[in-house]
This record gives sequence, structure tokens and C-alpha cells, in this order.
Amino acid sequence: MSLLAWGLFGVDMNVWLDAFLRLQLVVVVMTVTVMFLIYFERKFVGRIQMRLGPMRTGPYGSLQSVADALKLLTKEDLRPSTADFWLFELAPYVTFIPAFMTLMALPFMEGWGVRNLQLGLFYIVAVSGVTVIGYIMAGWASDNKYALLGAVRSAAQLISYEIPLILAVLAASMVAGSLNINDIIYLQDTVPNIVLQPLPFVILMIALLAELSRRPFDIPIGESELVGGPWVEYSGIRWSIIFALSEYALLWGMSILTAMVFFGGWEWPFGTRSWWGDFDFLYQLLLIFVKSFLLILVVMWVSATFPRLRIDQLMAFCWKILLPFGFLQVMINGIVLMYLKDSEVARDIVLFLTSSALLVAMGYVIYWATRQAPREVRVGPEYALGSISR
Amino acid sequence: MIGVLKSLGLTMSTMLRKPVTIQYPSAHRSVPERDRAFPILLWDFEIDESFCTGCHACERACPVECMTVTMMDNPKFAEGKSKRRKILDEFFIDYARCMRCNICVEVCNFDAIAMNNTWAGHELSVVDRKDLVMDREQLLALSKTRQIRPWVPS
Repeated sequence: MSLLAWGLFGVDMNVWLDAFLRLQLVVVVMTVTVMFLIYFERKFVGRIQMRLGPMRTGPYGSLQSVADALKLLTKEDLRPSTADFWLFELAPYVTFIPAFMTLMALPFMEGWGVRNLQLGLFYIVAVSGVTVIGYIMAGWASDNKYALLGAVRSAAQLISYEIPLILAVLAASMVAGSLNINDIIYLQDTVPNIVLQPLPFVILMIALLAELSRRPFDIPIGESELVGGPWVEYSGIRWSIIFALSEYALLWGMSILTAMVFFGGWEWPFGTRSWWGDFDFLYQLLLIFVKSFLLILVVMWVSATFPRLRIDQLMAFCWKILLPFGFLQVMINGIVLMYLKDSEVARDIVLFLTSSALLVAMGYVIYWATRQAPREVRVGPEYALGSISR
Repeated sequence: MIGVLKSLGLTMSTMLRKPVTIQYPSAHRSVPERDRAFPILLWDFEIDESFCTGCHACERACPVECMTVTMMDNPKFAEGKSKRRKILDEFFIDYARCMRCNICVEVCNFDAIAMNNTWAGHELSVVDRKDLVMDREQLLALSKTRQIRPWVPS
């Protein structure tokens, strides 16, 4: 057993105190990670655009996040005079707390999370969906048309993409037969879920981009048209809570979740027991961090590559492609798991084949759909066009 | 679909390439040899005096009248060390007025003036405009360091 398995650092203590200390640990790690992620994204996107990224603060700009944090914390906290006081002041917390709460149910090491929930996956998906309320609160309370537009768009987008995300996670948990993240990780000791379920993984990554309002799906916050979406009027510490903390904490939490559900967490590829002996937990932590950072890298890479979608393209992509294929995957999983209970190998092979076939089919549908001539749309009343030719 | 993968490959390849930007104030790109910043005077290391004899050719040719030159008898000519009868006494160029037209360089009979082709000719911001009026020593300073390879039209 690793050092951290019982209580907190092997010390028995009050349940509430134990939970509180674990929370503090997660908060500290999360803050440091978020600061690192912001720096890393700026560097990475800079290199993609063949720039250097931040270079002045500290060696290779490594203290940039610290400087930014100091600047944001000391900045004036502005509030428009016509803003709704309570909604405006509380919206950052409503966006941040769900993002933070997703980290509660994640087992960072074997037997070490803040809490091990039997319905952990369900809890995470349910809680991370609350973020949108914060967006709407911010957009409504700002009394700014851009903020309101951004809030309405983010409501539409986040609620739509929640469904494919849930379906993708559901498909993976069907294979494991459990909603407990620990169980899901234990069951991936030989084959990670990404092999068995490639399609849900792809759906999850796409839905994740949309949930985080990252670049191909950044319609709610599009700087060029909405000047920052629901957060136009925020500044200083409130803005940093919304943007820096909740955005990146959610990115980190969801990447860890993906690493656990699809890449076997700390179990795959070498099993929980390693040659590190008593310091197994460090190895597990390292594995989780490496996997989640690779996923974050992919997210940043994708968001640095693609231009923004139009709102109808975004909705059509969700409702016409991701959602049907998600449902199809869930149904096929149900059938396969129902009728191939006896042989695990046969079950795995069939799951792999069906899911990759579906993935190829989804790719083809997208390919085919983008090749179609755009549908002709009548832009005005028929009499205004002169002659009706179609 | 294929375009998506292609674009991902493209961004990754630009990520692995060397950045095109540099840390400007601490790192400089090399300036072309024929770069035309402000005019400077050149130093004759063989005789240890300036090439310029103060002949006023550049001053008269200057379209914006940014130069002031005075001439004096060369003490080294009297000693027999130099062939130059006259040598420059004072030389002022107002860099704030100079329009970098290169005419002074072209009219000079002694190849004594050249356009500064280093970064020192570009990073000249000062607080007071008067500081841009360069005197003889300032104009000769760069050449005396031997760090300039002047490009003089022949």
C-alpha cells in the first residue's frame, strides 16, 4: 500500500479535517498547474505562430504567470453602474466552483482523491455542466449587449455539447460496467479504453473543446465579434477567477478525467505496482500528469490550428453528427456487452471493431457533408427576388 | 476531414521550426552592408587622423543643410607625417535634420564620410532633440572602434 492510502499521509483524523486538508492540497496543486498551463499555452501557441512567446519575465519568461497574477490581483475591480450587483459579483464564483468541484471526485493516485465516489463519473459530468449558469449570470448582470449575446451563445453551445460528452463518457463506463472512476481505471490494466472505444474518445475530445469554449468553438467568447463574451465587463481579480482559474482548472480536470477514463489512469501501461516500491504514489502521480498534459497539449494544438465555426455549423455538427454517433455507439455497446458476456477477448475485439468502424463512418460523414454544395437559402420574401426560379 | 489533419500537421511543423522573431533589444538581426542610416566620419588609422579635410563639399551638397564643417591647417603636414595640408577642425551633423540621402557620401573626394551600416545608426532615441546634433568626436567614434565596415560607393 502506498503512503497516502490511509487517511492523509497515514494519519487518522477527523473526517471533516481530512477532507479540508485534501481540498487545500488540491487547491494548491491546481493553482500551480493553472499558472503553468497559462505560461505553457502562451509558449506553445507562440511557437506554432513562429513567435517566441513570453521571454522577459524570468528565464525564458517562466515567471510570466506570476507577474500576470500579481497584476490581476492588484488591478481595480470595476463594476458597471447599471450592473446587477449580486449577480455580477457572484458570477465568477458560480463558474469557478463547479470547475473546482470536478476535481473532488478524481482519484489522482491509487486510493487517493479528495473523495472516492461510487457515482464519480456521474457527479463530474453533472457538476461541470453547472458552469454555464455562471456564464449566463455574468452575461445578464453585466448589462452589456455583447455580454448578453455571449451568454446566450454559451448557453446554447454548452448545453448542446454536454450531451455528446455525456454519451462518450457513458459508452466508456458501459465497457467498465461501473461509474466509479477507480473501478474504471482498474479494469484497464491490460487494454486501455481508447483501444476499445476510439469513437467516444474522439467525441469526448471535440465536446471538451466546446465545453471549454476553446478556439474552434469559441463562439461565446469570440474576441473579434463579441469582445470577450460574458466577461466583457469584468476586470482584475474577478476576471482572473473566471478566465484563468475556472477555464484552465476545468481543462486540467477534464483532461485528467479523460486520461483516467480512456488511457487507464495510473493502471495502464505498467500496472499499479511498479519498481518504485514505497514511492509508487509518485509514479502514479507522474503518470497521471504526463497523460493529462499530453491531452492538454492536443487541446491546445487543435485550438491553435482551427478558425472559429459559424453558429449553425457548430450546432449542426453537434446535433447531426456527434449526437447520432454517440447514441449509436451506446446502443452497439449495449448489444455487444449483452451478447458477448462469456468471452472477454471476443468482447474486446468486437468492441474495438465496431467502435473503429463507427469512427471511420463518422469521418466519412463529415468528409461527405463538407463536400456538398451549400444549400440554397432564400434570403428575402419571394416577391422581393423578382422572379422565382427555384 | 483530410484538410483538418493537414492543418494539424502544418501547425505542428511550424511549431518545430525556429521562431522568426528574435528578442529585439537584446538580440539584433544583422544589418545589410548597404544599409543607409546616418552619415559618420571615417578614421585613417595609418596616419592617425581623420580622412576628412574639411573641404565643405558635403556641406554644400547637403540638400537639408544639416552639416557644419570648419577646416584648419594640419599640424601633421607641418611635421611631414601626413600628406593632407588641411584637416577638419569641427564637424557637426544634425541627425534630426538629416534625411539620409547619401549625397554627402557620393560627393566626398576623400571617401571620408560613409553611411552608418550598423544598428548604432538606428537606435538613436534621445530625450532632447539637441542631443541629436553630433560633433566631431561622436561622428568619428564608431570608426575608431574598427567595428564598422563602411560601404563607400566607388
